[in-house]
Amino acid sequence: MDNGIRIQGLTKSFPSPRKHEAAHRVLNGLDLTIEDNEFVCVLGPSGCGKSTLLNTLSGLDRDYDGEIRFGGRPMTRAGKPPVRMGYLFQDPRLLPWLSAERNVDFALENSDVPRHRWADIKDHYFQLTGLQAFRRHHPHELSGGMAQRLSLVRALAIEPDVLFMDEPFSGLDELTARRLRVDLLDIWRRTGKTIVFITHNSYEATFLADRVVVLSQGRIRREIPVTVPRPRDYDDPALFAVSKEVSATFIAAAEEAERARSRP
Amino acid sequence: MLIKVGSMIAALLAWLGLSFLFPETVLPGPWQTIRVLAENFANGDILSHLTATLGRVLGGLVLAMAVGIPVGVLMGVNRLAEKTLDVWVMVALTVPSLCYAIFAFIWIGLNETAAIVAIGLTSAPSIAINLWEGVKNIDTRLFQMARVFNASRWVIIRRVLFPQVLPYIMASLRFGLGIVWKITVLVELLGRPDGVGFELFYWYQLGNMQQVLAWTLLFTLVMLFIELVILQNLERRMFSWRPEVRI
Ligand SMILES: Nc1ncnc2c1ncn2[C@@H]1O[C@H](COP(=O)(O)OP(=O)(O)OP(=O)(O)O)[C@@H](O)[C@H]1O
Ligand SMILES: [Mg+2]
Repeated sequence: MDNGIRIQGLTKSFPSPRKHEAAHRVLNGLDLTIEDNEFVCVLGPSGCGKSTLLNTLSGLDRDYDGEIRFGGRPMTRAGKPPVRMGYLFQDPRLLPWLSAERNVDFALENSDVPRHRWADIKDHYFQLTGLQAFRRHHPHELSGGMAQRLSLVRALAIEPDVLFMDEPFSGLDELTARRLRVDLLDIWRRTGKTIVFITHNSYEATFLADRVVVLSQGRIRREIPVTVPRPRDYDDPALFAVSKEVSATFIAAAEEAERARSRP
Repeated sequence: MLIKVGSMIAALLAWLGLSFLFPETVLPGPWQTIRVLAENFANGDILSHLTATLGRVLGGLVLAMAVGIPVGVLMGVNRLAEKTLDVWVMVALTVPSLCYAIFAFIWIGLNETAAIVAIGLTSAPSIAINLWEGVKNIDTRLFQMARVFNASRWVIIRRVLFPQVLPYIMASLRFGLGIVWKITVLVELLGRPDGVGFELFYWYQLGNMQQVLAWTLLFTLVMLFIELVILQNLERRMFSWRPEVRI
């Protein structure tokens, strides 16, 4: 099945809390096509609408203009989204009264992964994220980074075709983050998912992505393909060169956004 | 625990000390009170009064929760319900409990139903307010999480909303009990021929302070037992997942 994403003219506004003020337009006619099995990283200054973009793509927020299709199947105003999706939120969003393992079960129970495979899947991802010894711990007994890894386990356990990740590694130490990036690429290569990954870190984006998309003022400002062959080496100068370009675009976008904000 | 025992002993000593300053008809000492209480037990009708009162406390509490919880939750999750109901909850809270008791006994009659209705309706507004505040604090981001993972509306209510509301329900149970038992005594003296409230009023009219204190002591001990031993343990067991708060 084709799990590419086609976004056309996506426009999203939030009503202003004050009565006579114009609505705040966050996404402004955004066009983006993501291929089936592609790994796309989205960069953009804080508040430019990255999380908003994922909320509309995931079907959490269906109040927008424009069109979103998954392999030709449109996202409708109500009902189940047309693909199986996993979402790693910017915050862990775990159920605090359930143990780590039961949190993952919660996602599995509402998915169509057959029950006899749950044990293997959980073993696999708990092992991978180094949480094996913490399966019976409750979220408040985990560190911030561990909680974030747990929500990664939860997102992966349901074997989604499309995976949305909102700055998933930003709260982790660099060593753990590096390990998890490699693992993520490995999972992606073996299971063939379409991944939309949001980050502030241009080197992370370059290392992971087939294509880096820089978002600014509700639109795509620039798309930068990363052609460095895989598997990639963290210290590859070719990656570094692309990352510098990404960085420069990102900074230009941020400055532009700032200028637009200070304009009356 | 040691502090609690210590403060209780201190209170007993203070009571003992004060009882020497006043005549027995005004403030009998602890030993006399306990002796009277023991005599009452020996005479036998103490249990029937106590169970009558506890039955009303229970009935009133169930009614108060049955009315207060749905109203409070509805006000917490629905803005229209909040705007319509908040003034009425305030009105219901402001009406003195004595008025509820009088209305109930006049409209329904001098019977058990009227007593329980009076108790339940008096306490319901406080419980509603408690839950209303609580439900406003729940984490709506968890509902988004559940929706992304394809949870149905029913699953979300049962597994994401309910566990978040439960601590507030438990808190309002304890808090409601505190209100209900005070009102029960009042309602009993007004319109029931038995129960702790009736006995208190009876001995008050006879000017027998020993009996008044004996009944007060009995009732307080029973309620403290329910509150501290039963409810706190239940709560501790239910919310063992929570981090312990130490200040
Ligand atoms: N529910 C909402 N109601 C009103 N405004 C909102 C809402 N959600 C987001 N916004 C606004 O939309 C804009 C984009 O928010 P969004 O969370 O998408 O930013 P972001 O790019 O993810 O930022 P960050 O990198 O800091 O996470 C912000 O200006 C924010 O104030
Ligand atoms: Mg964000």
